[in-house]
Amino acid sequence: MIIGSNLAKIYGKGTVEVRALDGVDIRIRKGEFVGITGASGSGKSTLLHLLGLLDRPTTGTLVIDGVDVGLLGERGRTLFRLNRLGYVFQDYALVPELTAEENIYLPSRVRGMTVKECTRACRDILSLVGLRDRVDFLPGEMSGGEQQRVAIARALVNNPAIILADEPCANLDTRNSTIILDLIRKLNRELKQTVVMVSHEEWHQKYFDRVIVLKDGKIVSGGD
Amino acid sequence: MLEEEQVAFFLASRLITRGNKGTILLTIMIIAMVFVNLIFLPSIIAGIVVLFNQQNIDYSYGNLVIEPREDQLLITNVKELQQKINRVPGVVASTPRYTGAATIVSKGKSTTPLLIAINPEDEKQVLKIHTGIASGDYLNDGDTGQILIGTTLAGNKDQKVDRTPTLGGVDVGKTVEVTFRNGITRQYRIKGIIASGQFSVDSSAFITRKELESVLGTTDTANQILVKTQMTGNEDAMRITLMQYGIQEKIWTWQDKSADFLKSIVGSFDIINVISTIVSLVIAVVVIFIVIFINTVYRRKQIGILQAIGIDRSIIIKSYIFQALFIFASGTLAGCALLFVLLQYLTASPLVFPGGPVAPVLEPMLLFRAIVSLFIVSLIAGFLPSWLTTREDILSAIRG
Ligand SMILES: Nc1ncnc2c1ncn2[C@@H]1O[C@H](COP(=O)(O)OP(=O)(O)OP(=O)(O)O)[C@@H](O)[C@H]1O
Ligand SMILES: [Mg+2]
Repeated sequence: MIIGSNLAKIYGKGTVEVRALDGVDIRIRKGEFVGITGASGSGKSTLLHLLGLLDRPTTGTLVIDGVDVGLLGERGRTLFRLNRLGYVFQDYALVPELTAEENIYLPSRVRGMTVKECTRACRDILSLVGLRDRVDFLPGEMSGGEQQRVAIARALVNNPAIILADEPCANLDTRNSTIILDLIRKLNRELKQTVVMVSHEEWHQKYFDRVIVLKDGKIVSGGD
Repeated sequence: MLEEEQVAFFLASRLITRGNKGTILLTIMIIAMVFVNLIFLPSIIAGIVVLFNQQNIDYSYGNLVIEPREDQLLITNVKELQQKINRVPGVVASTPRYTGAATIVSKGKSTTPLLIAINPEDEKQVLKIHTGIASGDYLNDGDTGQILIGTTLAGNKDQKVDRTPTLGGVDVGKTVEVTFRNGITRQYRIKGIIASGQFSVDSSAFITRKELESVLGTTDTANQILVKTQMTGNEDAMRITLMQYGIQEKIWTWQDKSADFLKSIVGSFDIINVISTIVSLVIAVVVIFIVIFINTVYRRKQIGILQAIGIDRSIIIKSYIFQALFIFASGTLAGCALLFVLLQYLTASPLVFPGGPVAPVLEPMLLFRAIVSLFIVSLIAGFLPSWLTTREDILSAIRG
């Protein structure tokens, strides 16, 4: 359960004030697949950064699974990201020097699994995203779609309660986008993970349980 | 927490083995060069100092110099004293000398060098002057009417070449006229020319003590006894031992006696050495720091992403420290190899200085200092940039 109250992010440039997010109230229930959409510059990424604990709101409170994350220190937030959240970036953001398996291995190992457990989890999860045969491939040796699937596997490996994805299909063609969307939906249905995904593609919307529309940093509809 | 180090090491090893090989190799080479630079000149200078000191010991003073007692001008009973000295444990040999100024004339050219009266055989046990005979022969104990002339004192036919007063290019077999301080003048045949490379030797003349005693009408006197000991470096202790064995004459170490100009040369080299070391060290610090720093800053985005997916900054920092330490270790090793090759080369074809060939002296302290300073620099260069990058907010790091 995600509860954001009166979330605002204000960037100040001298006298000019940019209200990237302007008093947003948001509630996302466990297991929901929520899409966030809106025009460019409407604050979608900003909102997702707040939900992903990559940024702190200027005002407002955010409670995730009963934890007021605004009260966490840096270390606490890092741990929270590691254990409870999976973040998928638009540009995959894999470590280019690590193979598919090693990219996934890293967060699971840091979480405290043994090497053996990690290796197993990595293989399982790579099978899940259909890349069992890409275990030893470096990111540079994989297509964009494959890289994004590795990134999703990395986000999933610690079995997070919430997956956040910021336009994960923006760099992919329709075929690969469909694979990714189908995959995320499957995870959402089968593993009961909450998914919040930013997308401004009209045709993606059929995947979402609910669509939140942002405009000028405010929620226009779907805020619940 | 060892887990953390394991993950950091895993990350570091992959970043190094799969990162840009060229960059890493270049960085390692730079550190190797810096390392050599840090060691090479100081070791040459140390070699020069060792050479100078050894020359002093081998050609001028031996290890210890014994001089007349406080209230006396000469050492008397030389034979007895010499025997007493030679019995002291740690003493290899000793040689009495009578040193004084005398005027030497050859074909109208006159100069007043140091004339040193020696026991040729004793000298051989203590000094190496006998190895420096350039032409002719060394003296024998019984020689009279014969003289050895240093090559600088002998001079050149073309006197413009000479920088000090000389005899204008005298040679073996020629006769020179020597006037002693007591006014007696004698003719001497030149038996040999000495070219030792040591200025104080090459600008002096040598006769036997037997000859001098016949001139002065003295017996068994000297104004110096040079002593060679088994070890160089423990002269102060040997001095005390000699005193304990009842030697009441004044005892100096070769360091005490070394000419002031030599001391100041050594002092100057020390200063050059310190300055060169400091400069090399500063260069080392700056170069290593810049190279590793740039390398880390270049991975700023990646560091941001690692933090975003929940990797603690301490793991990231440690992995960059590991990388820096790997580069340090490889660089130092490569530097050692380079240095080894260089030293081999210099041993095979040594640098020749006035006074002889200089072998680089690798002091362990120097090596230790270079390694420790490079280690510390690498540590800081690994730590600081990753610490700074993980401290800024994640989003700006990810944006690159
Ligand atoms: N670091 C920043 N400093 C100043 N202004 C910012 C910063 N980041 C975002 N903004 C501003 O906040 C607003 C919202 O940005 P945001 O990235 O959330 O938009 P978006 O909805 O994700 O757009 P897009 O669809 O193009 O990705 C924009 O007007 C942007 O200029
Ligand atoms: Mg965006």
